[in-house]
Amino acid sequence: MLTRLSGGTVYDPMNGVNGEQRDIYIRDGRIAPPPADPETAAVNLDLRGKVVMAGAIDPHTHIGGGKVNIARALLPEDHRPDPVPRTTITRSGVGHAAPSTQATGYRYAEMGYTACFEPAMLPANARQAHMEMADIPIIDKGAYVMLGSDDFLLRMLAAGKSQREINDYVAFTITAAQALAVKVVNPGGISAFKFNQRSLDLDEKHAHYGVTPRQILHTLARAVHELGVPHPLHVHGCNLGVPGNVETTLKTIAGVEGLPLHLTHIQFHSYGTEGDRKFSSGAARIAGAVNRNPNISVDVGQIMFGQTVTASGDSMAQYRNHAHAHPKKWVCMDIECDAGCGVVPFRYRHQKFVNALQWAIGLEIFLLVDDPWRVFLTTDHPNGAPFTSYPHLIRLLMDRSFRNECFATLHPDAQKMSTLGSLTREYSLYEIAIMTRAAPAKSLGLTDRGHLGAGAAADITVYTPHADRQRMFEKPDYVFKDGELVVKNGRITRVVDGATHTLRPAYDRGIEKSLREYFDRYMTMRLDNFRLSDAEIENDGRGRLIVHRGRAA
Amino acid sequence: MKPLTLTLKEPPSQRVELSALIPDRLSGMRRSAIAAIRLQCGNRKVKVGDLFSLSGGDASQLQLRGDLGKFDGIGAAMAAGVITVRGRVGHQLGAAMRGGRIMVHGDAGDWLGANMHGGRIEVRGCAGNQVGGGLPGDAHGMDGGTILIAGNAGMRVGDRMRRGIVVVKGDTGDYCGARMLAGTIVVFGNAGDFAGAGMRRGTVILIRKPERLPASFNYCGILKMQFLRILFHHLTREYPNLPELRGRGPLCDRYCGDLATGGKGELMILRASYPY
Repeated sequence: MLTRLSGGTVYDPMNGVNGEQRDIYIRDGRIAPPPADPETAAVNLDLRGKVVMAGAIDPHTHIGGGKVNIARALLPEDHRPDPVPRTTITRSGVGHAAPSTQATGYRYAEMGYTACFEPAMLPANARQAHMEMADIPIIDKGAYVMLGSDDFLLRMLAAGKSQREINDYVAFTITAAQALAVKVVNPGGISAFKFNQRSLDLDEKHAHYGVTPRQILHTLARAVHELGVPHPLHVHGCNLGVPGNVETTLKTIAGVEGLPLHLTHIQFHSYGTEGDRKFSSGAARIAGAVNRNPNISVDVGQIMFGQTVTASGDSMAQYRNHAHAHPKKWVCMDIECDAGCGVVPFRYRHQKFVNALQWAIGLEIFLLVDDPWRVFLTTDHPNGAPFTSYPHLIRLLMDRSFRNECFATLHPDAQKMSTLGSLTREYSLYEIAIMTRAAPAKSLGLTDRGHLGAGAAADITVYTPHADRQRMFEKPDYVFKDGELVVKNGRITRVVDGATHTLRPAYDRGIEKSLREYFDRYMTMRLDNFRLSDAEIENDGRGRLIVHRGRAA
Repeated sequence: MKPLTLTLKEPPSQRVELSALIPDRLSGMRRSAIAAIRLQCGNRKVKVGDLFSLSGGDASQLQLRGDLGKFDGIGAAMAAGVITVRGRVGHQLGAAMRGGRIMVHGDAGDWLGANMHGGRIEVRGCAGNQVGGGLPGDAHGMDGGTILIAGNAGMRVGDRMRRGIVVVKGDTGDYCGARMLAGTIVVFGNAGDFAGAGMRRGTVILIRKPERLPASFNYCGILKMQFLRILFHHLTREYPNLPELRGRGPLCDRYCGDLATGGKGELMILRASYPY
């Protein structure tokens, strides 16, 4: 059956379409080339006056894995005031900062998102993460497997194993955990925390393994590059949230020696130590470095004011931050010697100097990075704010006077420390389409997502243009997922199951011999149970695997 | 204007969340608009008008009549006004309440005044478990206000409470004042076992000595606690139905504990005179 979406104003940066009136055709869940006779379409949806984009993609959102469940368990008060009643087609749920799985899927789809990626899946937790994500309806998902503080890798580095062996281990882990990319969180630091180190700077040695974060970053970035993983190494750097960490971040950029790197929630890594309060914005220096180094991409991790919960694998940073917990309770734990996990509820406040400046730093980075293909829109959900604040964030980026109004309500000292008021840039719809669709798809190697060219998956979002961009983006008119109409006027009309995106890099199976010995000796499960089978994800047809082919190495 | 009165037509078969009907929210609303408010009942929504017949118009003096044992969250989060209930009420009456008054001529369910911040609750009958407690996951229970129960109360009265006063004229279940952070509990009847278990600070005042006290409380002798005079003066002035407290104090046996959690709390057992 052919469906025609006629007359919409299309923003499709991947194909260079900038606000042109085009017809789009859908056949069998894919975007079809225009037929000879447009009248053959069985369904015609008149979209004159509407804005048409590909479905949005969130490349960094904590929606699955142990820590989200811990956040849920820790915060019943986050659930009580925010119930999601069931409807005839959707199931009930709860939660604002850490919503239940179903509510997550519905809310994302209702905002026009069709794919979301969990950035911190511990290998030992991969099964739990995938099962949780399997419960998230409508949207596609995928996960980045977390390495860098795992005992096996640190042992390999300490023993001076070759890059080839490490590549095999990385590839094995991606495959076994059914991941799409690799993330490193506070390289080596999570492990160092367990050896009583409370900070680990880029060139500081791990007390036990004698390895430095720089070494770990470089080795993993190289492994990811050489294995042909499309998404660069996804880096949550050292010293998250520490004033002065801008130096570490700049050194990280320099230290990777031209290898592709994605620096995630960069806002939390862009702090200087100037001013009376020894806390200042490093946004301009970071943005300058990003502009100069085409191998670097970032996502911002914008904070928004209000109650949220921070859930991170970085137990070192979370331990450091626990004094700021609001409400006053927190969790910090080790998980299978793989890494760790810290959950600290937070309330960001306008009138708190540090929070106000964090807000401004995030926006400064958005506005100072020139290339929208290398800066993605995230709040590091739920760490900076719940993902439901994206429409508000888009308005802040697109509407300078609104941004300045909000800026004027901040703590006065924070206003003095920020250049935000002088930044005149306003994002265009085309640039928003780049940073929320085309760029993440391209970065993740999702060749058939994030654009509207013939052959792409028919993940499409249709908005009514409105001067208030928040209103426009929080309630799309239509959302199509693989050609099915799933949202109409901001309400779910049909619930489908999204697919799981994974990657299978080639590797030498010889590595499994030493892994098997290691698992038998140290781990709580055997190697064969550690590995996730395809059937577990496919789950008798409820789930679907999309296996991506890596870039030719 | 006569008080707005809601009389239950027929008890529903499933539980109903009634927290939407608080004087702060209803004042200024027309009766027809109030009747159209939809309430959660089990997994359905029902209109106020379908459950209750409405009369009167002054929502600041809300009256509820009938067996409301299945109605939860009455007066939850209210900040002003008066709610009078003639009949039984369900769970979480006055939960997170900030101000105003609730009077219940009947029994109340569990979590009465849970997380309450201010205001007054008076129950003429008995109350369930966790009076003034914190809901699961909350860091603490009530942190302000006064709860007075004429009958008995269930287990864990004032669990993790942080401020405020709870007075129980009858008996309480076990673990009265368990895990208290601060605040005051007064019990006229029997306090059950393990009173004050895990309390960090705060005061539990008993008129009768319980049969057993937790082992982690130390006896600190007979003391004249002058603040008891002020407390009882305040309570008898505010609540004329507490004649039992008139002329009581300041002499008491004082036990300090729970030593397992710092030992800054106290159990006080009132006495009429020195034994010597």
